[in-house]
Amino acid sequence: MDAAVEAIGLTKRFGTLTAVDEIDLALAPGRIYGLLGPNGSGKTTLIRLLTGLARPTAGEARVLSHRMPSREGLASIGYMTQADGIYPELSVLENIRFFAALYGTTDRAALTAALELVELADRAGTPVFELSGGMRRRLSLACALVHRPPVLFLDEPTVGIDPALRVQFWSHFRGLAASGTTLLVTSHVMDEADRCDELVLVLAGRVIERGTSAEIRARAGADNLEAAFLAVSAGNRGR
Amino acid sequence: MSRRRVAAITRRILSQFRRDHRTVALLFVVPVFVTGLLGWIVTESRAVPPRVSTVVLSPRIADQVEAAFSAADADGAIDYVAKADTEDAARRQLRDDEIDVALVVPAGIEADILAGRRPTVTIITQGIDPAGDARAAAAVGRVVATAVGAGAGGAVGPAIERATVYGSPDATQLDALGPIFLGFFAYFFVFLLTGVSFLRERTGGTLERLLATPVAKAEIVVGYIAGFGILATIQVIVLLTFSLADVHVPALGPLGAFSLGLGVANAGSPLLVFVIVLLLAIGAVNLGIMLSTFARTELQVIQFIPIVIVPQGLLGGLIWPVESLPDLLQPVARVLPLTYGIEGLRGVLIRGAGLDDPTLQLDLAVLAAVAVLVALLATRTIRREVA
Repeated sequence: MDAAVEAIGLTKRFGTLTAVDEIDLALAPGRIYGLLGPNGSGKTTLIRLLTGLARPTAGEARVLSHRMPSREGLASIGYMTQADGIYPELSVLENIRFFAALYGTTDRAALTAALELVELADRAGTPVFELSGGMRRRLSLACALVHRPPVLFLDEPTVGIDPALRVQFWSHFRGLAASGTTLLVTSHVMDEADRCDELVLVLAGRVIERGTSAEIRARAGADNLEAAFLAVSAGNRGR
Repeated sequence: MSRRRVAAITRRILSQFRRDHRTVALLFVVPVFVTGLLGWIVTESRAVPPRVSTVVLSPRIADQVEAAFSAADADGAIDYVAKADTEDAARRQLRDDEIDVALVVPAGIEADILAGRRPTVTIITQGIDPAGDARAAAAVGRVVATAVGAGAGGAVGPAIERATVYGSPDATQLDALGPIFLGFFAYFFVFLLTGVSFLRERTGGTLERLLATPVAKAEIVVGYIAGFGILATIQVIVLLTFSLADVHVPALGPLGAFSLGLGVANAGSPLLVFVIVLLLAIGAVNLGIMLSTFARTELQVIQFIPIVIVPQGLLGGLIWPVESLPDLLQPVARVLPLTYGIEGLRGVLIRGAGLDDPTLQLDLAVLAAVAVLVALLATRTIRREVA
């Protein structure tokens, strides 16, 4: 089966700093990938390369075989940025309608479904500046998936969200994956990582480990992911 | 009050500015720049001698008048361009901007002088710039007093009647400035609003998000132009109505009578005024988008005002006519879009210029070209790569 998202020798340098260093990835459709790594390890830069927001210094990024950035590729992704990226002066519904319109989605049912998913349907008319931080995060997610894209990039989607809703988010992510959506989720919360089908550990712009949570733990000889991550990164730094 | 806490706050403020070089520059460099520019304009602006033409319908004093004007020309008080045979010919010269002032000496003037009556002459100006016209008319009036007053036995000079080709000789500075402020404010506010809005797109993460959708950069720019164009349209309608209207509201109860609107005279088509202001506004939208790239905070957008807006106000002919600016500044004024906006607005509102007027054609062409050019530049500043 063709990969939904591919990175081929993907490299990004800012001056002398190499933020992403020759990363090769192939993400299969219908799976949830966790992109893990400490702050500044290159997670967001990697996502920006995959979404076509940053131009690679070398290598290329492909989404559904479209080299990024391309209109077709951009139409088939949803991107929830680390910043909320929504308009504070607009209402909840106006925000989601705006992003839906950019993707050509005018279907009212899609808007309602997205709002219901993030439990903001009763807040449709509320201006964003009146929402709490958690609600904004939820709206930001709704704006990323209102057009039901086959590929979703979620940069720290659950920051500022209470545990109950977090569980709900993940069950929904699972539902999307089951219907064929590919998800790439960044996090540095390791307990969330356990919910992913496959993990990609990055450090200093390189992939240092890949596999399921169980595989990684076993290889590192650690009983939890956090310890495994520390062991793997220590080994890498030593190299 | 703790001295240490106060000192901590003071130190923090100074440290913040140490990292914001632009604001430091604003505090020290920009006032020097703007004041320097102002000083340059004020001291080096040439008092261009008015270009004068005379129409003497009384042959017996023709030589006398010509001698006085030639002498004044030699002194540099005026620029004696030509004589005209009829008042109509002189008015045509004024309309074609060949001269600034025409003096008309009527045929019956000798009879008045001989009968001991105070003679009357007419001074005609263009009527575009009331202050400039008054200066020019005064200069001509002094020359006339020496010419005709001497003929009357050194008595008082002749009475002077004022006339204008456009507008009315009673026009105030408001009539001249009203239309121009219309353009200036539209330009200024649209620039400020777009600059801040677009900066928010950049810093709030929404631009990043927009660019991760299939939207094209040109679509963003055109959408902004349309959105702010509609706002500018409403603004122009309100300002234009207020400038041109003169609605008398009678006294009612404790309220005294008052007038609504400035009652500025308008000789031309309000639609053309509207087109000029809209073109200016489109240029301002794109300038706002473009310059928002170079700002990190809303404060920094506001800092562009003394750099981008104030010089255009000083050089664009808002207060000092472009022709009177120092030589080095004239070409600068000629590349600023506001110069053409102001010239165009004056043309339509005061001269009643239509689409067949070559100066207005040039103004509209330049404004349209600038709007397109800045739109292209603005599109280029929106990069998929933001970081």
